[in-house]
Amino acid sequence: MSRAIRTTVLIVLGLIWLLPVYLLVINAAKSPLTFTTAESWRPTDFSLFANIGEAMRLSGLADSVVSTLIYAIVSPAIAVAVGAAAGFAIVALKLRHGFAWFVAIFGGTVFPIQMILLPMFDAYSRVGIFDSKLGMVIVYTAISIPFSAFVMRNFFTGIAHNVFEASVLDGASTWRIFYRVYLPMASSALVAVFILQATFIWNDFLLGLVLSQSDTVRPIVTTLAGMQSTYGGAQMSVVLAGGLLVSLPTVILFLFTQKFFARGLALGQY
Amino acid sequence: MTSDKTPTVPYRREKDQYRWSALGFIAPGVLLVAVLLYLPLLWTTFISLTDYNGLGDPEFIGFDNYAEMLDDPQFLSSVLNTLLWVGGTLLVPVGIGLGVALLTWNLKGGIWLRLPFLIPYAVSGIGVGVIWSFILGSGGALDQALGAFGVADTPRWLVDAPLNTVVMILATAWQGVGVNALLFTIGLQSIPREPLEAAKMDGANGFRLFRSILWPMLRPLTAVVVGLSIVASLKTFDIVQGMTKGGPGGASETLALTMYKETFVNSDYGLGSAIAVFLTVVTLVASILYLRQQLSSKNGV
Repeated sequence: MSRAIRTTVLIVLGLIWLLPVYLLVINAAKSPLTFTTAESWRPTDFSLFANIGEAMRLSGLADSVVSTLIYAIVSPAIAVAVGAAAGFAIVALKLRHGFAWFVAIFGGTVFPIQMILLPMFDAYSRVGIFDSKLGMVIVYTAISIPFSAFVMRNFFTGIAHNVFEASVLDGASTWRIFYRVYLPMASSALVAVFILQATFIWNDFLLGLVLSQSDTVRPIVTTLAGMQSTYGGAQMSVVLAGGLLVSLPTVILFLFTQKFFARGLALGQY
Repeated sequence: MTSDKTPTVPYRREKDQYRWSALGFIAPGVLLVAVLLYLPLLWTTFISLTDYNGLGDPEFIGFDNYAEMLDDPQFLSSVLNTLLWVGGTLLVPVGIGLGVALLTWNLKGGIWLRLPFLIPYAVSGIGVGVIWSFILGSGGALDQALGAFGVADTPRWLVDAPLNTVVMILATAWQGVGVNALLFTIGLQSIPREPLEAAKMDGANGFRLFRSILWPMLRPLTAVVVGLSIVASLKTFDIVQGMTKGGPGGASETLALTMYKETFVNSDYGLGSAIAVFLTVVTLVASILYLRQQLSSKNGV
């Protein structure tokens, strides 16, 4: 196919892809007073910031923003460190039966999350961490570890073992070699895994739905879903503004870190 | 570490030397995964064999929950909807993703032309649901657009089954095409130049070039994309819960939704767990098939 035809097809298809974005933005910008479901395609006024402010107030979205930021930063950070330590043990320290240990950790990711929902809910209620930030951080960390370990092991396999031997000759302890030599070398992989997991946690709905209920603990996407059911009729433009607010951080993060994303996906798959 | 160690120590001794240290490094990962993922997994499997609603103790009833599950028309409808999701997400997002990757391949400005497809990728399932419920609602943006072209009698997109599942698959396609295009693009860029140029010298282009060179070369990557798509679509939950809540009357429920409802709405923990186990078995079978496919095709290329 000639270049002109290919470009034209892509532009037309791309414009179609942007239509929902256009509709979201112009309707999220309409004041609840002028908003009508009967006239969606034409912009009327610009109350986007007022709507976002209103959305932050409704359903406790502002509280959710704070707690979700905590989840999306703390959990992947711990998971990446734990995963890197596991990879280090298997590859650099040549842990006996390393591959079996690796399969054991990675196996945690092959079954659907539905298998842990009920026991988590049950156990959290009994232990008293149902609907707590601690409980959410723990579960998000746990589900992020298998993938982190997988990618970090793959990454460390690419580092020559004499790097480790040279550090031993210098008299460094294993902890120091891990912390000062291996982790810095792996920084790009660490960032890639961190970004992927942070995006995944930010977008989580199901775990938040099952394991939390109060405004201050519920993650942002779960709050958005509740807002849609409660206010979707009367204050649709505010709900759309909420949707825009919830979606923007991950969309921007993704667009600016496409290379890291692709790298993370590629490291995870091969 | 004793002072007489050198890098040339025998392999076996070196292994033993770091044994405790290595166990210490792997322990956090193994413990967290064991306690927080495997233990719950076993517990759910056990609960699926009991009658339990959260109060009192689980009562062992063998495979009664599984029998009840297979007898339930709602379960069968959920299985069919889930299959529709698996097939639909293979056909549309993976198919269009491959198309976009092929169209932008070696094209000037391809990065920019791919951008519109990548924007929705990082939007959450609920976010996609909020946008598309607004567009597809009765008298919503889509109906208005069709009305402008004189189509007045539009279907009820989110109410009529199985149309509601189909439009939700299309909404998922809106989100998922970009990342599939990105993955296929990486695959296309890694194809070596020589066979391509040889084929072009022989006059192959367009569809023939695709069928004889590109498609076989892309097979390992295609296996990965297809496998990921199948495993993800089997677990479809967020977007359906966000757009139809499985309705009307359970007509658009997927297995993940039915599991959630039985467990957390009806408090039938045993039946909910049985559905979770069923979903897990299906997912594992699909994963094994795609991993095998991936391995065999890797050997083939």
